[in-house]
Amino acid sequence: MGVPLMYCLLRKTRAGRPCHPRHKPMPSTFVPTSDPTSVPRRSQFTATVTANEPLCREHYKLTLQLDSFPNTEPGQFIQVACRDMAALYSPETEFDWQPGQMLDFAGRELMSPLALLRRPFSLAGRRDSSSGVELDLIHRIVGVGTDWLAQLRPGDEVNILGPLGNRFTLPASNEQAILVGGGVGIPPMLYLAEKLAGRDAVAFCGALTRDLLPLTIIPDTTNPGEDSFTPQPNILEFARHGLRSVISTDDGSHGYRGFVTQALEKYLDRTEGDRATPIIYTCGPEPMMKRVARIAADRGIECQIAVERAMACGMGTCQSCCIRLKRDATRDGNAFAGKGWIYKLACTDGPVFKGADLLW
Amino acid sequence: MPDLSLNLASLPLANPTLTCSGTCGYAFEYADFMDLSQLGAFVTKSITREERVGNEPARIVEVRAGMLNAIGLANVGLDRFLAEKVPLLKRMPCPVIVNVAGHSFDDYVETCAAMDGLDCIAAVELNVSCPNVKDGLTFGTHPGRLKELTALVKKVLPHKPLIVKLSPNVEDITHTARATIEGGADILSLVNTFTAMAVDIWKKKPRLANVTGGLSGPAIKPIALHLVSRVYRTVAKSAGVPIIGMGGVQTWQDAVEFILAGSSAVAIGTALFVDPATPNKICQGLTEYLVKMRIDRLSDLVGALEMPGDQPAKSTYP
Ligand SMILES: Cc1cc2nc3c(=O)[nH]c(=O)nc-3n(C[C@H](O)[C@H](O)[C@H](O)COP(=O)(O)OP(=O)(O)OC[C@H]3O[C@@H](n4cnc5c(N)ncnc54)[C@H](O)[C@@H]3O)c2cc1C
Ligand SMILES: Cc1cc2nc3c(=O)[nH]c(=O)nc-3n(C[C@H](O)[C@H](O)[C@H](O)COP(=O)(O)O)c2cc1C
Ligand code: FES
Repeated sequence: MGVPLMYCLLRKTRAGRPCHPRHKPMPSTFVPTSDPTSVPRRSQFTATVTANEPLCREHYKLTLQLDSFPNTEPGQFIQVACRDMAALYSPETEFDWQPGQMLDFAGRELMSPLALLRRPFSLAGRRDSSSGVELDLIHRIVGVGTDWLAQLRPGDEVNILGPLGNRFTLPASNEQAILVGGGVGIPPMLYLAEKLAGRDAVAFCGALTRDLLPLTIIPDTTNPGEDSFTPQPNILEFARHGLRSVISTDDGSHGYRGFVTQALEKYLDRTEGDRATPIIYTCGPEPMMKRVARIAADRGIECQIAVERAMACGMGTCQSCCIRLKRDATRDGNAFAGKGWIYKLACTDGPVFKGADLLW
Repeated sequence: MPDLSLNLASLPLANPTLTCSGTCGYAFEYADFMDLSQLGAFVTKSITREERVGNEPARIVEVRAGMLNAIGLANVGLDRFLAEKVPLLKRMPCPVIVNVAGHSFDDYVETCAAMDGLDCIAAVELNVSCPNVKDGLTFGTHPGRLKELTALVKKVLPHKPLIVKLSPNVEDITHTARATIEGGADILSLVNTFTAMAVDIWKKKPRLANVTGGLSGPAIKPIALHLVSRVYRTVAKSAGVPIIGMGGVQTWQDAVEFILAGSSAVAIGTALFVDPATPNKICQGLTEYLVKMRIDRLSDLVGALEMPGDQPAKSTYP
């Protein structure tokens, strides 16, 4: 018989630390049934934390190592179990149990808050090597789930499910990609930048204040004052792929003083006529994305928006993540007939939508 | 190997794990994440006569040990269900139960009648208890109307077992359970979600656009278990009507509790969002449990809960 269960319960369970010292994750014996409706290969994976570094106030970069992971593209996300999933299904509690032994986990989640549902996070980067796959997530502490993530340490295990959602459509060769990220909307822009290495692309990143920018700012590279909306090689994460960028802070603590959308407008106005056809990619707080969509629409620029919605399943079963789109009879068939709009699911139809389609 | 199979009225199932309506889509949504062929049965999202767009977002909010949902029965409607989903259901590797909701007797009757002739559908479950849609409450809370509805639907479903899913938002669930059985239900499922709410204290507003939503997940398990136990002992057992127990089932231990309390099968909902493979894992756990308890057939465990005042179990020694 295993170590008595009370021992597990009394041990202070740290984030990602299986409560039992002899714990081994359940072997994944399940082979998916062939699915005629969608691309297979997606699954549930146990990833190992290789780093979880604070980037700035409240923001962490979590790096996860996996033996393998399906192909992914910028815009896609994963569903992260922000708690120790192994505790629920640990072999100690399930299979070494003996009649008569106390077996009661009831109430643990009532004693301290525990993230019940998975939390969606955009992929912020990916590296493939002979030893497997590394995924980057950037997360900001806003509640119980992200607080748990912030406590993860190298070697801890995290259960993830994915990849989920659609993806950004990359620009045509004659187009200039303009990436606009605000706050925790910046992570998918970093992954997109990886794919745009060497291409004509610039990035605009904004936050309330400098220490809420989850980015590595290269010292002395940001133009001060008037010219601060001219892209510079000033953010390491973009510069390493050859992208110049503009930093804005609402309080002026770094770069352009004001909203990132204002810097974007100034840039578009000034470069009007002497640049390739632009295409805008954006993710961030909803008011910001709405403004970006407006700016793009006013100028006839294509705009792809990665939206955020509260999600339970992340794969089209629960109908919780709906967002309003303009109805298009050719695309939508009989659905929502007689209405000018339609609900789409952010998790499966999105998270990336065309700005021109979104009614929010 | 212990035997997990069972008969739910006339419906044979390979094991007692079902999915909960509304938490698993229409067919293959979870195919990459769980082994559908290892499910006792799959239960679809509620289907209504007309397509429904559902409620405004926010439709869900997480609460301590559970979640509230106010989806508003968003579904493709009967016509698109028949055209788009039935062809998929024909390929499902497990029995399929269609969940039907409605807003009038006619709605229910028409939708259920359309299911009777479909070979790919093993049974129909009536959602008479969805607390999200304003006029949806009536059928499930009034015993008289519930009996009438059950009888009307039973008439158009001569070839399929009829499951009626009870709402917990009633004064006495045994009254609605009895009415349903009198109306001709073959199987009872319980419970649906509990009407509840959550408040955003900074905005001083309800967190769901619909104000109230249905509470599901581990938080409701002890209450659901009690309701199952009560319905089993007061009504279902004597009437010989099997129960599908649900509400917060997450682990095999939860499933055993429900089975001991009188459920013949268990359905898993909110836990699928956490781990879509939950039903598969519960089967694995149940098998181990039966081995350790030296029980050959899971069905011997149904309602085996020993209550104070019961006749003591027969001693195995003479
Ligand atoms: C497609 C997608 C991609 C995302 N990518 C990132 C990312 O790369 N980095 C990052 O830091 N955050 C990202 N988010 C937001 C992130 O999911 C939330 O910050 C997180 O769920 C908060 O969990 P919590 O337990 O800490 O907060 P809590 O406030 O305790 O969460 C309570 C509930 O609200 C929901 N919720 C709260 N905030 C959000 C939100 N902004 N969006 C959706 N649901 C929310 C949670 O899912 C949960 O059910 C993304 C969201 C979506 C939908
Ligand atoms: C997101 C969501 C959607 C649901 N939709 C339906 C539905 O359409 N029809 C229905 O009968 N029950 C619906 N339910 C209720 C579940 O089927 C189930 O009765 C309830 O959630 C309790 O089980 P659980 O705690 O395991 O989730 C829904 C539940 C959730 C969480
Ligand atoms: S999150 Fe469940 S349908 Fe989108």
